[in-house]
Amino acid sequence: MSILSIDGLAGGYASADHIVKGVSMSADAGEMVAIIGPNGAGKSTALKLAAGLLRCTAGRVSVGGADITAATPQSVLAAGFVLVPQERNVFAALNIAENLAMGAFTTPALMRQRREAVYARLPLLAQRRGALARTLSGGQRQLLAMGIALMAQPKVLALDEPTAGLSPMAAAELFATIRALAKDGVAVLMVEQNAIEALGACDRGYVLVDGRVVREGSAGGIMADEDIRRLFLGGRKAQHAVATR
Amino acid sequence: MFSSIIQALLNGLVSGTILAVPAIGFTAIFAVLRYPNFAIGSLATIGAYAGWFANLRLGWPLEASFGLAFLGAGIATLAAEWLAVRPLEKSGALMMAICSLAVGIVLENMVRFAFGNEPRGFNVPLMRDIRFGDLRISPQQVENFAVALLLMALLWAALNLTRMGRAMRATADNADLARLKGVQPGTVAAITVMVGGGLAGIGGMLVALDTAADPLTGFRLILSVFAAAVLGGLGSIPGAVLGALIIGMVEELTVLLLAPNYRTAIGFAVILIVLTVRPSGLFGERAG
Repeated sequence: MSILSIDGLAGGYASADHIVKGVSMSADAGEMVAIIGPNGAGKSTALKLAAGLLRCTAGRVSVGGADITAATPQSVLAAGFVLVPQERNVFAALNIAENLAMGAFTTPALMRQRREAVYARLPLLAQRRGALARTLSGGQRQLLAMGIALMAQPKVLALDEPTAGLSPMAAAELFATIRALAKDGVAVLMVEQNAIEALGACDRGYVLVDGRVVREGSAGGIMADEDIRRLFLGGRKAQHAVATR
Repeated sequence: MFSSIIQALLNGLVSGTILAVPAIGFTAIFAVLRYPNFAIGSLATIGAYAGWFANLRLGWPLEASFGLAFLGAGIATLAAEWLAVRPLEKSGALMMAICSLAVGIVLENMVRFAFGNEPRGFNVPLMRDIRFGDLRISPQQVENFAVALLLMALLWAALNLTRMGRAMRATADNADLARLKGVQPGTVAAITVMVGGGLAGIGGMLVALDTAADPLTGFRLILSVFAAAVLGGLGSIPGAVLGALIIGMVEELTVLLLAPNYRTAIGFAVILIVLTVRPSGLFGERAG
């Protein structure tokens, strides 16, 4: 049984909005799943709806069998679903240690123990624990955002364009960190503008167009699909990525 | 002349430190709720009268009277927020700011209705000024200065060493992410409003201790409070403290050159200069 199950999810930024129009997805523990599609397809909106940041008008979201549809952020966190937004995903005016503490705001008794575990996994954060988040580079900020998410010990980690604005080297390091998390059993749901990179790193993928899933399957299968390649992946580059997987 | 300047700076240090207390309250409310609460002046007046009531009518010592000043102004701020300002949330920050001006006028006149217009002095003993050569300072000023410093130290500890304080700073910095991490925005807003209003109340009582409580105690403060917050950077607590110290000293120094009536022009001048030269204030970002 999938750890994350999204069935017929619909909604948008206002009650009359229908940006996402009945999306169904799933992810197993330890699986990395990419959501790709053109701008405005509803990829980020789908994540926000699943996380309870936006109110859905239809559908059901469950994590490990627990229904978190339209639940409060506290309930969503408690169920193990953690969203890392694309922008403003750290507290710029707080230092790294305080940012991590905010990640375990709902479980204060476990905060120190979890923070040490995050420091062990992401040593850069330990080295700079007193630094204000606003002084970090783009890659370091994304790492911190990941650390904040890990403080909630997620079963499902939803990442909204985690490599946006990062250098290729920083993006590669971040993907390596994400892969390590998945190896430890975390289900990763990743929205990425860079479809080739995302499918190269993930096990499965969903293609969203105009708020609907138009294609799903293995990452390799999607990259090999002629239509998808022509529309989103840019021909030869995609073929190369498939070949080198 | 030199000793006059030092004396003015000393006076400015004391008045700036006292001014910092309501300025912190003002900027904290702005940081979390994103609108300037111009009722802060009348809330300072309520604090002054609550403290006076506790001290004169109930016979409480000053230390306990500060508690009632905090509570009285804090509860009034919370009530005004819930009954008048919050219902306008969807209309935007400008409407909320205008509403807070109206709330300020209502509160000021409620104070007039309840206590009359005449000044009310506190039950404090008359003492000789403390002298250091040509410099002098009243024991009450020293006490007020110490209370303001103690309050700032307590606030610093609460904001930096407690879970809720951290949540308040996090909400001020990034409200959406704070909500995503399980912080309840309503709780943080209520605590911020209560503490911000309470600080304005204590600020009002500190000013009234130096002079007397009257219905315009807070109104005379509001421009300096706003100027201090704008100078430091709206939403920045360290900025509000630094801004208040600068405003306090500049106001005192101005008295050496101009008639005291022009003192209130300093606030206007500072706001004008800051908005022209550095609109984000000294501390730039809206950090906590």
